[in-house]
Amino acid sequence: MTTQPKFGLSRRSFLASAGAFGAATTMMPRMALSQDGKVLTVRSYSDLQLLDPAFRLSLPEDDIIRSIFAPMIVPQSGDTWGWKPIAVESIEQLDGLTVAFKLHPEIGFTDGYGQMTAEDVKFSIERIADPANESPYAGDWAALKEVEVKDTLSGLIHLNNPFVPLWNTTLPTPASCIVSKKAVEELGGKIATDPVAQSGQYLLTEWVPKQKTVLRRNPDWKYEQGGYEEIHIIPIEDPATAELGFEAGDLDYTWTAVSSLPRLKENPPEGSVVLEKPSLAYVWLGINQDNEALQDVRIRRAIQHAIDRPTVVDAAYFGAAAVGNGIIAPGLPGSRDAVTYDYDPEKSRALLEEAGATGLSVTLDILNQSERLTAAQVIQANLADVGITCEIKQNDSGTFWTLGSKEGDYFMNLQLVLSRFSMQPDPSWATVWFTPEQVGVWNWERFDNAEYKALHDQGLQESDPAKRDEIYKKMQGLMDESGCYVFFTHEVVGAIHKDTVSPGLKPNGESLLADFKEA
Amino acid sequence: MRRLLREPLGVFGLSLVVLVIFGAVFADLLSAYDPTRINPRVRFQGPSGDHLLGTDQLGRDLFSRVLYGGRIALFVALVSTAVSLVIGIVLGLIAGYGPRWLDNLMILLFDSMKSFPTVMLALALVTIMGPSLTAVMVVVVLVTVPGYARIIRTQTIAIKTSEFVTAAQSMGASNGRILFKHILPNVIGPLVILASMDIPVVIAIEAGMSFLGLGVRPPTPSWGSILNDGFSSIRDTAWIAIAGGLPIIITTLGFTFLGETLRDVFDPRLKGR
Repeated sequence: MTTQPKFGLSRRSFLASAGAFGAATTMMPRMALSQDGKVLTVRSYSDLQLLDPAFRLSLPEDDIIRSIFAPMIVPQSGDTWGWKPIAVESIEQLDGLTVAFKLHPEIGFTDGYGQMTAEDVKFSIERIADPANESPYAGDWAALKEVEVKDTLSGLIHLNNPFVPLWNTTLPTPASCIVSKKAVEELGGKIATDPVAQSGQYLLTEWVPKQKTVLRRNPDWKYEQGGYEEIHIIPIEDPATAELGFEAGDLDYTWTAVSSLPRLKENPPEGSVVLEKPSLAYVWLGINQDNEALQDVRIRRAIQHAIDRPTVVDAAYFGAAAVGNGIIAPGLPGSRDAVTYDYDPEKSRALLEEAGATGLSVTLDILNQSERLTAAQVIQANLADVGITCEIKQNDSGTFWTLGSKEGDYFMNLQLVLSRFSMQPDPSWATVWFTPEQVGVWNWERFDNAEYKALHDQGLQESDPAKRDEIYKKMQGLMDESGCYVFFTHEVVGAIHKDTVSPGLKPNGESLLADFKEA
Repeated sequence: MRRLLREPLGVFGLSLVVLVIFGAVFADLLSAYDPTRINPRVRFQGPSGDHLLGTDQLGRDLFSRVLYGGRIALFVALVSTAVSLVIGIVLGLIAGYGPRWLDNLMILLFDSMKSFPTVMLALALVTIMGPSLTAVMVVVVLVTVPGYARIIRTQTIAIKTSEFVTAAQSMGASNGRILFKHILPNVIGPLVILASMDIPVVIAIEAGMSFLGLGVRPPTPSWGSILNDGFSSIRDTAWIAIAGGLPIIITTLGFTFLGETLRDVFDPRLKGR
């Protein structure tokens, strides 16, 4: 009789062992990374398209840009607005027209582009301000006279006139990100999606379009470190999909749909924290005044009177967001309590008849998201009620964000568009997108009003809050009068994160990737 | 028909298909509500006597939307399948009966069309045409035509050397007469069965494109768009997604069982495969 040795390997035990080994090898790297808190996985609502601080297109790009191209200062995370230095050792306002700065001595650009210098600061700021470059963010540096280089690391920012938003909405945004003069000139003046000469707390190491962007800590960064070794940014357009991803454990942090907030607050997923933050964003229906069918202001005013704003907001957000009355959020100078048009279908029908526009058909372009689609369908029903046929056209984010661009071929066909802009904590950052210079850039309504522009310029220099309040209210009144705008809401920001993560967020809930830390 | 009725699976499939067609045809009689009428005051109501399948996020009656959505699904399925059949038959006959070089060229064309992933093709077309019912139907036609054409071509090649074809040729019959009077009646049978089995695929394409926002435009009800409406609130109000998904399942099962039974009836050699 023979006995089977105990260490003998049967076919079944071999398969079991191999299976267990395979499972272990697939899990081990993930376990190791998550145990050390090295990888943070977050969702962004759109994929990146441009990584140039002067030509960026969306908020998720802002977050990546300020992580890979060191900005002079960044917003501070927390519940009050403030800023902290990143690339600068010191920065201070010497007088109303001069800001002095000194760079950290050991910030270098990757790819062999050498040390970051004051000359790079001058180049980075002046290329945004230079009208010849047609940066949509030129308004951030509207008051710039010049950047004077004092020595390798120091310089002075000279302004033509006092500029109130400088410390609120210019310096803490990617408008203060410093790029390598040499690298950008070699690239022909613009950075696309393959950044060279990175200099920030993180480096962009991988971008798989529509799938993920990977940021890794910059090994040569000598100053305040980001909280995670790696940050994976997953573009998911639909917030409902992102919520499912979060609950499946694939994400550590995501914005949620505003309409999901009541449910999530009542019943948060295990091991998660649900946040609700006041939002500065604004959602509105834009009406292109240069479109052939909408050139008559009476038609545009008819559309304003046709739309039942509270019903649109309630239907889209299920009561989680309040009705907004303009582009400036509550708490900021210029915030309004009401719009100058009311919901009046009778008046709307009369205006349409007066304009000879009975039987009008229009197209409403929206981003392909559930909240927008719901809002659009209420708008469609409201318009049908006054005799306007409205066709809803859903667009993915890549298409949507270029619809009104004069570079494209659709901007004159654009009729109605449901939009949402995020905002920085100064009213000028809302009004700037509707100035004549922005026609065909971000001003898709093609609203072109000289008085509005003059008031915008006045507001930039006016430091008295009461006078600013008056200026910005008047500007929104002009927007109402043009018939180009129907304002809906400022929303709220809903976010959810694992309780093992301490998110770095601005007071309005926008993320600051480098400030995310382990809880 | 008698043979079909002897097959329980076939009867079941036929019943489901009849049910769906009946619901779609008599939607205005069966539903008490306008499927596009918005009433936010009654949004997210569960199934009840007032609303048999509940209401959606805009307070629209889901039972009405499902019935009217059936019209869209069947319209797309029947029209685009018919168009595909006609195009497929003509191209298949030309490829099978024409000269060798033309056959090779057309096979290359069919294979190229077939190699496009459906979703990519849909996205490309919608980018050009914009989302619409027409775009959905064009996608369906482009996806299904190569398959039909290939089958007709193969059958035509097999049959074109038959004695009755040779006889027609020797009697001076024109190519058109030979193709449509002599060859077509002998090759069309299997294709009709195949087409009936493709109908659920077509319905799934329409629903899928509408789910992605690439198909039927709101507020027109479509099973795919109902499913999409329910997707964002599936954990709280699952009945919306169920209302959108159930008719897709019923229709798919119905046409599949019916098609398979028809195939078995007409070609018993394939039974059970």
